[in-house]
Amino acid sequence: MVLLSLALAGCGGDHSILDPAGPAARGVAWLWWGMLTAFTLVFLMVVGLWLAAFRRRGHPVRSAAQERRLGLGWILGGGILLPGVSILLLLAVGVPAGQRLLPLPGVEAPRVIEVIGHQWWWEVRYPHAEGEVVTANHLAMPAGEPVDFHVTGADVIHAFWVPRLGGKIDMLPGRVNRIRLEADEPGVFGAQCAEFCGAQHAHMQLHVEAMERDDFAAWLEARRRPPPQAEGHDTAREAFGEHCARCHRVEGLAEGTGGPDLSDIGSRATLGAGVLALEEGAIARWLAEHQTLKPGNRMPAHDHLDAETLEALGAWLETLRP
Amino acid sequence: MSETPHSASGDAREAERLHRELAAVWANPRGWRALTVVNHSTLGLRFMATGLVFFLLGGVLAMLVRAQLALPDQAFMAPGIYHQVVTMHGTVMMFLFAIPMLEGLAIYLIPKMIGTRDLVCPRLTAFGYWCYLFGGIILFSSLVLEMAPDSGWFMYTPLSSAEHSPGPGSDFWLLGITFVEISALSAGVELTVSILRTRAPGMALHRMPLFAWYILAMALMIVVGFPPLILGSVLLELERAAGLPFFTVSGGGDPILWQHLFWLFGHPEVYIIFLPAAGIVSTLLPVFAGRPIVGYGWVVAAIVITGFISFGLWVHHMFTVGIPQLAQAFFSAASMLVAVPTAIQIFAWLATLWLGRPRMALPMLWILGFLIIFVCGGLTGVMLALVPFNWQVHDTHFVVAHLHYVLVGGMLFPLMAGLVYWLPLVSGRMPSERLGRWGFWLTFLGFNLTFLIMHWTGLLGMPRRIYTYDTAMGWDLYNLVSSIGGFMMSAGIAMVLLDLALHFRFGRPAPPNPWGADTLEWSLATPPPPYNFASLPRVETRHPLWENPALGDEIARGEHALADASHGRRELLGGEALTGRLREVIHLPTNSWWPLAAAACLAVVCVALLVRLYPLALVAFVVAALMLLRWSWENGAHPIAAAMGDDEPEAPPLHSRTHDGPGRWTMGVALLADGAFFLSLLFGWFYLWTVSPQWQMPERSPLSLPLLVGAGAAFTLGALWLERRLRALRAGEDDGLATALFAIAALGGLHLLLGAALLWRAELAPTASAHDAVLLVGLLYTLAHGLLAGVLAGLQGARAALGLVGARLPFEPEVVALLWRYQLGVYWILAAALGLLPRLIGGGV
Amino acid sequence: MRRPLPRLTAGHPLQLVLGLTIWSLWFVALYGGLSVACAVAPPAPTQGAMTGLNLWLGLLTLATLGLLGWLARACLTAAWRERGRTRFMAALGAGLHLFSAAGVAFVGLPLVVLPPCL
Repeated sequence: MVLLSLALAGCGGDHSILDPAGPAARGVAWLWWGMLTAFTLVFLMVVGLWLAAFRRRGHPVRSAAQERRLGLGWILGGGILLPGVSILLLLAVGVPAGQRLLPLPGVEAPRVIEVIGHQWWWEVRYPHAEGEVVTANHLAMPAGEPVDFHVTGADVIHAFWVPRLGGKIDMLPGRVNRIRLEADEPGVFGAQCAEFCGAQHAHMQLHVEAMERDDFAAWLEARRRPPPQAEGHDTAREAFGEHCARCHRVEGLAEGTGGPDLSDIGSRATLGAGVLALEEGAIARWLAEHQTLKPGNRMPAHDHLDAETLEALGAWLETLRP
Repeated sequence: MSETPHSASGDAREAERLHRELAAVWANPRGWRALTVVNHSTLGLRFMATGLVFFLLGGVLAMLVRAQLALPDQAFMAPGIYHQVVTMHGTVMMFLFAIPMLEGLAIYLIPKMIGTRDLVCPRLTAFGYWCYLFGGIILFSSLVLEMAPDSGWFMYTPLSSAEHSPGPGSDFWLLGITFVEISALSAGVELTVSILRTRAPGMALHRMPLFAWYILAMALMIVVGFPPLILGSVLLELERAAGLPFFTVSGGGDPILWQHLFWLFGHPEVYIIFLPAAGIVSTLLPVFAGRPIVGYGWVVAAIVITGFISFGLWVHHMFTVGIPQLAQAFFSAASMLVAVPTAIQIFAWLATLWLGRPRMALPMLWILGFLIIFVCGGLTGVMLALVPFNWQVHDTHFVVAHLHYVLVGGMLFPLMAGLVYWLPLVSGRMPSERLGRWGFWLTFLGFNLTFLIMHWTGLLGMPRRIYTYDTAMGWDLYNLVSSIGGFMMSAGIAMVLLDLALHFRFGRPAPPNPWGADTLEWSLATPPPPYNFASLPRVETRHPLWENPALGDEIARGEHALADASHGRRELLGGEALTGRLREVIHLPTNSWWPLAAAACLAVVCVALLVRLYPLALVAFVVAALMLLRWSWENGAHPIAAAMGDDEPEAPPLHSRTHDGPGRWTMGVALLADGAFFLSLLFGWFYLWTVSPQWQMPERSPLSLPLLVGAGAAFTLGALWLERRLRALRAGEDDGLATALFAIAALGGLHLLLGAALLWRAELAPTASAHDAVLLVGLLYTLAHGLLAGVLAGLQGARAALGLVGARLPFEPEVVALLWRYQLGVYWILAAALGLLPRLIGGGV
Repeated sequence: MRRPLPRLTAGHPLQLVLGLTIWSLWFVALYGGLSVACAVAPPAPTQGAMTGLNLWLGLLTLATLGLLGWLARACLTAAWRERGRTRFMAALGAGLHLFSAAGVAFVGLPLVVLPPCL
């Protein structure tokens, strides 16, 4: 009852299971409301009967045989029949519902997007014959068609979960797991690592953006080319080569590995896997304060760099948008 | 009622004389020697008191967590500290509170309920307590040192492995928990044997109090359920300390193996906690309904079903790891199946209330609270068993809410009911209704405020174990409410504890059997004397006190069996497991320093491993083993135990003069635990072999076939010889027994020698490949058993030479023979699995 | 003075664990068989639930069901015949065998619907 009244208060939010935006999540949301209704009735019945047993006045005199029959009736009815029928129904609903979520072989093989969990950021790869596109902490996908996500973990176990689209799947080092999700309409959805993965598990969010099929194609195409080189920013490029390029990649400039690919960082929604919104000056702030904003993250502190350099780096990185 | 007229004062004098005589044998020593106490009442209370302390500490941790999550973007605790606190909250509540608390309750109550004077292995009880205390202190000290484990209470690898958790936190967890589990296992073993073998004469299985059924199931589940986690902990510690890659993909291991081993233990654990609590409900509810429980047989069936099915559910904690959907469906269906036995119990209780005349008293209030919360938790549990729904809410606060509903509702509330109910037995005073009711309502409302809303927080997408959240998520209000509820619940618990503390001083004195109960513990004086029953009654009903309210007086007057302690032995009656028919008089060991000393040595092992002083660990381990062996020496006809003499009973005889005393059962149940450990190891081997992503089976098995067979042959020869000597012993022949036992021990030594050569020649590279690492552990396992079997046979030889074992004292070789049979089976199975099978199938798989 | 092994009768305490032990062994065989088969030779996902693997596991399920049903019947008839403790054990055994049989049927149901290795 409390839950129901809360429900009126809203099921919304970027991460809400109850505000589904795809077929898989919708199925589960319906399951939830159905189970909630049925089980609330069961709950009220059981507790009601117990309370009634306490409140009863006037106990009829019964023979031992009558008592035994009555007791047996309670146990058979409530202990066997009630749960028996309930779980049979539930299995009958649940197994087909689960089956629909399976990546069954269909007519057309869906698009594959690879997601790799790192402590504490997301690497997203779009395999393509004409060259792979790699982004970080930002996942674009076409709306209105199923997409197969192939997920794995780079270091520890993470879990890939876009609550408004559907269930989660673990990202295991050494294994590739698959999950099929679909977004009904273009939109932006929150996603968060769902398996505890260490100190910054809380700050491991992924910005998921579903787009029209054509927009998605264009989005990919734009990232297949090196980012445009803005005028000036030479000191920043130099500093980047010196201090950042070992871990970070920028298409056409640096081939670092270990940290997020920064080729399109200027076009992202957030920094630090959801710590800061990407506004003007945000990157410079992140570079200066990232160990305060997200303590323990794997990027070393930049105390040895002066504020000017950091600001120059931030300004240049903001220009990296396809 | 007795026919002969007694004079009241004569009765009282006789009861007093008997009390003094028994007390002289059974009373606890004071001062420093209180550390040597082995009495089950004392140790049960120590278990519970210690458990209560850890409960409070765990509760403080919970409040720290709620304080951090009360508001968004809180910096009350740094993430590192927060994760230590969260991990320790779960660990402390599960391993240091719930299990030991319920064990303590069972240790305290079971002998009193089944009509006997103590548990069958009193020194083991003491040993278990010290292991629990030391393990708990070691584990909790990590938090004080700010080095606590921080990878969540289920310690998933690789997060908990050396690479990703380089500090000693994980080591504290693995070593501390393993240490504590020794205590759970020892309690499990001895509770099983006590319930089966020391019930009051005439108390056939179907007349046993339901509580004993529940505890029997719990004890057996501990025996089978804890070994997988012990194995997992040993393997993970070996990986962390020595680099054996059991859970590392690149070395051929698999992190999912840890999850299987953990949840193979972890899910039964939930029922290990729930069953005794349900046992409390099944004991109290009929008392307050004023009638026997409806459907005794149904409830027993429900207990057995729960005990089994709970071992078939573990994968429902792993629905998101990518197991085939069909396999998930099996586990989903099995998880739903467990709703049936639970519903049977709930409706049996309901029918009991319906057909009885229920009285409302403080314990019943807690039971009603239990019902409401637990039914709710059970229903969300059925929801979670549904795979697609599980995929959405797994690892969110929905699960956190569910598990608290099940554990707090299913364990804490019945426990509180039980504490209030049995308090008068312990203290002789009644708890306060007024303060108690306040405590109940605050706890109940606070609990629901915290956790009912948390379901919703989870559905809105809040994952568990995040140390902070952004206000944009829309979770602020719900978290704040949860935190307020949490503090309210704490206030309730504080009030309950205040009542508990005050009642010892201000409670009104309890009349005998204050609640009008039917079970034997209420026939005792309050507080009960150290020997419980001055004389041991025959019980042929499920409700002894309802049928004969004067039973307590009869017992105190010594009108029943064994009303004599002039021989100075601690004696109780042993019966047949099924019928309760009288079989032997069991003599128990008395107070001793050995349990404390051995546990202290093991604590040194634990600390030495933590600080990586391996030589010290080895020395302390050897000393502990020697102490345990020395402890086992004081047995049978040893003067400290029960020397041969004229004052020993003939019919029934003392157990050490028979072939099948309770010690043999203890060994049997202990080997059951050992077997569960071994099966887990075999499971690990086959799991890695078939499923691990980068497993590498070498072209040629490194195990030399001749040595493998030779070592086995030596042991088989020894085992067969031992069996022959046992047959002769049963026929009353003990000529040359000592020599034969020495020779058998020598064959054990040869076995060991060949086994060591096998290991040596294999030239394993255990740090490079999981294959070699498993081989190493498997071989060490069987060699350790070979060593123990050989040493024990040798000691038996020495005892035979000293006249402590022989035709009149045939008991101990029978116990040792069980170990030999076990090792015989295990060795050949292992040889087949590790040495032969890869040769037959080849390394291709 | 060794007694011969007690005959396995309906009143034997083994009835307390036999049915569910069979259930457990069946469950292990089912899960283990499926896992190993999927690791070694997974059938093509296009076959849906109509694979040889499902068939074999289904046959195993039916056989277990038959065995448990037979045991339940044996215990049930004994429970009608006997009195006292033996009756208690036999009735309990019958109930447990029946539950195990229902459990086998229930847990085995998804075999009909789901493809084995996805």
